[in-house]
Amino acid sequence: MVPLSRLFSSTLGRKYLMGASGMALVLFLVVHLLGNLTLYAGSGEAMNTYAARLHALGPALVALEVGLALTILLHIVTAFQVTYSAKAARPVDYENAKTKGGPSKSTTGSRNMIWTGVVLGVFLIVHVAQFRFGPTMEDGYTASVSGVMVHDIYRVVVEAFTQLKWVAFYVASMLFLGFHLRHGYWSAFQSLGIINPRWSKPIYAMGMAIALLLAFGFLFIPIYIYATQSGGGNA
Amino acid sequence: MSIELNPGIPEGPLSQKWDHYKANMKLVNPANKRKYSVIVVGTGLAGASAAASLAELGYQVKSFCTHDSARRAHSIAAQGGINAAKSYPNDGDSVWRLFYDTIKGGDYRAREANVYRLAQNSTSIIDQCVSQGVPFAREYSGELANRSFGGAQVSRTFYARGQTGQQLLLGAYSQLMKEVDKGKVTLFPYREMLDVVMVDGKARGIITRNVTTGEIERHAADAVVLATGGYGRVYFLSTNAMNSNVTAIWRAHRRGALFGNPCYVQIHPTCIPVSGSYQAKLTLMSESLRNDGRVWVPKKKEDCKKDPSTIPDEDRDYYLERKYPSFGNLAPRDIASRAAKEVCDEGRGVGESGLAVYLDFRDAIKRDSEAVIRERYGNLFDMYHEITNENPYRAPMRIYPAVHYTMGGLWVDYSLQTTLPGLFAAGEANFSDHGANRLGASALMQGLSDGYFVLPYTVTNYLGTHAQELLKKVDVSHAAFDSAENEVRAEIDRMLENGKKGKRTVTEIYRDLGKVVWEKIGMARSEQGLKEALAEIEKLQKDFDTDLLLTGDSKLNKNLEMAGRLRDLLELGALMARDALERKESCGGHFRVESQTPDGEAQRDDENFAHVAAWEYKGKGQVPARHQEKLVYENVKLSVRSYK
Amino acid sequence: MMSTSKSKTIHIRLRVWRQESRDAQGFFEEHELKNVLVDMSFLEMLDVLNEQIIKSGKRPLEYESDCREGICGTCSLMVQGQAHGPIRGATTCQLYMRSFVDGETITIEPWRAKAFPVVRDLVTDRRAFDRIQMAGGYTGAKTGPHADANAILIPKDLADRAMDAAACIGCGACVAACPNASASLFTSAKVTQLALLPQGQADRKRRVIRMVDQMDKEGFGSCSNLQECEAACPKKISIQNIAILKQEYLKAALAADFRAGMGSADGGA
Repeated sequence: MVPLSRLFSSTLGRKYLMGASGMALVLFLVVHLLGNLTLYAGSGEAMNTYAARLHALGPALVALEVGLALTILLHIVTAFQVTYSAKAARPVDYENAKTKGGPSKSTTGSRNMIWTGVVLGVFLIVHVAQFRFGPTMEDGYTASVSGVMVHDIYRVVVEAFTQLKWVAFYVASMLFLGFHLRHGYWSAFQSLGIINPRWSKPIYAMGMAIALLLAFGFLFIPIYIYATQSGGGNA
Repeated sequence: MSIELNPGIPEGPLSQKWDHYKANMKLVNPANKRKYSVIVVGTGLAGASAAASLAELGYQVKSFCTHDSARRAHSIAAQGGINAAKSYPNDGDSVWRLFYDTIKGGDYRAREANVYRLAQNSTSIIDQCVSQGVPFAREYSGELANRSFGGAQVSRTFYARGQTGQQLLLGAYSQLMKEVDKGKVTLFPYREMLDVVMVDGKARGIITRNVTTGEIERHAADAVVLATGGYGRVYFLSTNAMNSNVTAIWRAHRRGALFGNPCYVQIHPTCIPVSGSYQAKLTLMSESLRNDGRVWVPKKKEDCKKDPSTIPDEDRDYYLERKYPSFGNLAPRDIASRAAKEVCDEGRGVGESGLAVYLDFRDAIKRDSEAVIRERYGNLFDMYHEITNENPYRAPMRIYPAVHYTMGGLWVDYSLQTTLPGLFAAGEANFSDHGANRLGASALMQGLSDGYFVLPYTVTNYLGTHAQELLKKVDVSHAAFDSAENEVRAEIDRMLENGKKGKRTVTEIYRDLGKVVWEKIGMARSEQGLKEALAEIEKLQKDFDTDLLLTGDSKLNKNLEMAGRLRDLLELGALMARDALERKESCGGHFRVESQTPDGEAQRDDENFAHVAAWEYKGKGQVPARHQEKLVYENVKLSVRSYK
Repeated sequence: MMSTSKSKTIHIRLRVWRQESRDAQGFFEEHELKNVLVDMSFLEMLDVLNEQIIKSGKRPLEYESDCREGICGTCSLMVQGQAHGPIRGATTCQLYMRSFVDGETITIEPWRAKAFPVVRDLVTDRRAFDRIQMAGGYTGAKTGPHADANAILIPKDLADRAMDAAACIGCGACVAACPNASASLFTSAKVTQLALLPQGQADRKRRVIRMVDQMDKEGFGSCSNLQECEAACPKKISIQNIAILKQEYLKAALAADFRAGMGSADGGA
């Protein structure tokens, strides 16, 4: 028997963890984007209703959040392990290595997953601090949905995205997300070995679609809000 | 004084000799097997298969190779396939027919009993390789595919794309690595073998040099197997790999092992010609090209430098079709090679060097379309294009013969033992199975037969026979190891020391040697030419001793390795000239211009030369002694090969 | 030996890596070669350079080659930052000077990986591959009588697919080209070949576990799915094999019936 600890500490095992956590995170992003589409509704009601329903889940939500946090942590820790092992595996680097083209998926983006990942990590901290742990109902951010007082998360969002610096930060971060997903999506399938010659190309192509969809899906939100709300202020 | 050469052929009818041997051999009991150690030098098909098989029996095996890994041995480069008398296509093949074809192909200069055993073992080889996971080509039925080869009338060649040698070697290598993992084989990579150590008349060890550190090492054992390949690199330019060399078997020869038939060399007709003096290696093109290509040169010398497409048909000499109307472009290797040389000697060779003939696909493309030709030969055409930067679909290929296999090697008896007791030779390193000419797809067969199915029995028989003596272990501190090591050290030190003063690099002297051997002991040999060769090689030997330029140290230094090898090749070249000089007949790859029929074909002299010439080393600069093993043919009738 | 008037020549500058021994500090040494025939192979060009170095009384440059036909896997040079140079599907020995232009400066480095230490100059020690092979790259068949070769039928497409994987020449270009110095392509090619064939089934699980373990012990990096190995592979071996390796390893590691003695040298049956 192979102890699980050994399985997952092997170079292959790390990639299973990497791929599986990556896939879970893509799934989360899809759900997150779908939820955020409520922001395009124009008024805060849709968004606030959605948020309220989420919070109504209570402990289940906490469990999901903790699960998500652990998945992200796993993804990050594994990423650093993989990067470290790569550096250790080549102590003296080439003067100027070049890709040989052809089937190679070696691009600036794919070779720098760790850096796009680091940017996304920083983004994540800011993002969570700003919205998940931002102004609360006690701070006066309340709204009424069907007569019930709820947290006005919509106002938090609008307040941020009517400032150009936040729009720029979010848009830039989402571009990094795009690059990360462009390689990461297909890579997860390859890492888990759930791929075959017939599906390899479609999955790789789908990686591009997912990257574009998620990156632009998210980055249009701040732009949309800035365009529609900044003129009218945040009254 | 003549040495008694006893081939040790077992009694009984031909088909039962091997069974008779196995039934009467001495055995070693399983508990005792681990007390014996066997050294196997070389990790090609013969070496790797022998080392793995001996280890499986229970012996402690030490396996040596000059590369970083056992997998790099030159067997890896064999393309075409491996023969076996499986008779799957139901086309009339049998062990007897494979035996007969091999004896006849060797121009009746091989030992009947050995060749019959080879044919018998051939079928087991395929089963063995399949069980290792060798991915042979298959039919849609899932059965193994066969093709015909080298003019055989049956399809008995098994293949794995154009990489049969690679796949068979990786199979043997994997089996070897399995035994390394089990601790039964110890690998010694990066080692060149520089001497055999004889103790009380038996081979009990070797001296090696670690090519990366320069350390000279001693290794003791109870038997030594040399599977170090052929000596085609004596020609400097050949299809052999850069590291192929004669040193291991030559050092054994210097210690007293007789060298059999050194002049038997096979020259392959379809190689890419030499393109410049900087070249160190030639590339073989599959013989199958001659199925559709037509070989020609211009009739007029002045046309030789012209664009071939401007030369009309009436000015072309399709010389193979002219000389051998019934075989035409498919004349056997030796015949086709010699014919190419003749037309080039007449000054009608083409290309910049004048040492090439055309292999033209114009008519085949016209007849079958370019697509059909591409389907058949696409990869070969690409390879040609890659090397020459010329498009063979548009202009004819230029080809020329090149050395690629040596039938000669250490003389061995039926048990593959050399004249030194306890020293065995297998694969291309021995002289045994191919006579004066080897058939296509038979080299792989012989290497694996020797390693998998002959040596495990014969080495056991040797150990069992001499158990009393061999169980008294010899230590590497024995005086014989001292003196052998000292000689090896002295030789290397001398080369490095002399090398500081000289002016001629190893490559320069080596290239000159190659030129002499190629021109005078190549496709056509004459008494005068061979005598000239002896004189010229002597001069080169003097150059080597007094004017060699060698730089660098005794650690990893390819140039130093090459110098040691060149030293041995110079001596070998002289021996080849002597052997060719003494064999005043033409047979197989050995063509003496004095011995030909009125129409220029090889003329054998069975009355005087139906024997193996086995040479005894008499010291540097001394004339070696020639001994004979008479070849007795009880089962086949000697006849003349004709291809008209 | 012969005139080569028709052939084009170029002048080149070379920057070659020199390193006395494994632990010595390496450096780039510069050379100039004039009148290099474009029809020369890259290694022949280095042969010419070495003659020049020897004649100047210096220690020759060490680089490896053997068959010079692209099958033995011995040659191993990083040419202009690319494993085996710029031509796809070719080894260094199959590279010709016509791939370079007059006046070009060509940088030559050894394979660089912790698991492939430099022996001297451009020669690296690739025995780590042997040790991976040793850990399980075989079927376990012994010499002796076996079932007739046609007793087990193998579908042609499977045999062809196994051959694709078996074509690996063990040169190490995959490791050299991989930004992570991963040996996944090498290991996966052998695992795949034997996993596909009926003869490889008996020790299929033990094989993949042990080979991956050994690969990790040697200090190769993780695979990051960049497919650069496939691009650099002279035999164009597909990273599909790596996907199969991942499946095989996971299945073997999770299999409850896997009881082979993994640590012991002669474990398993």
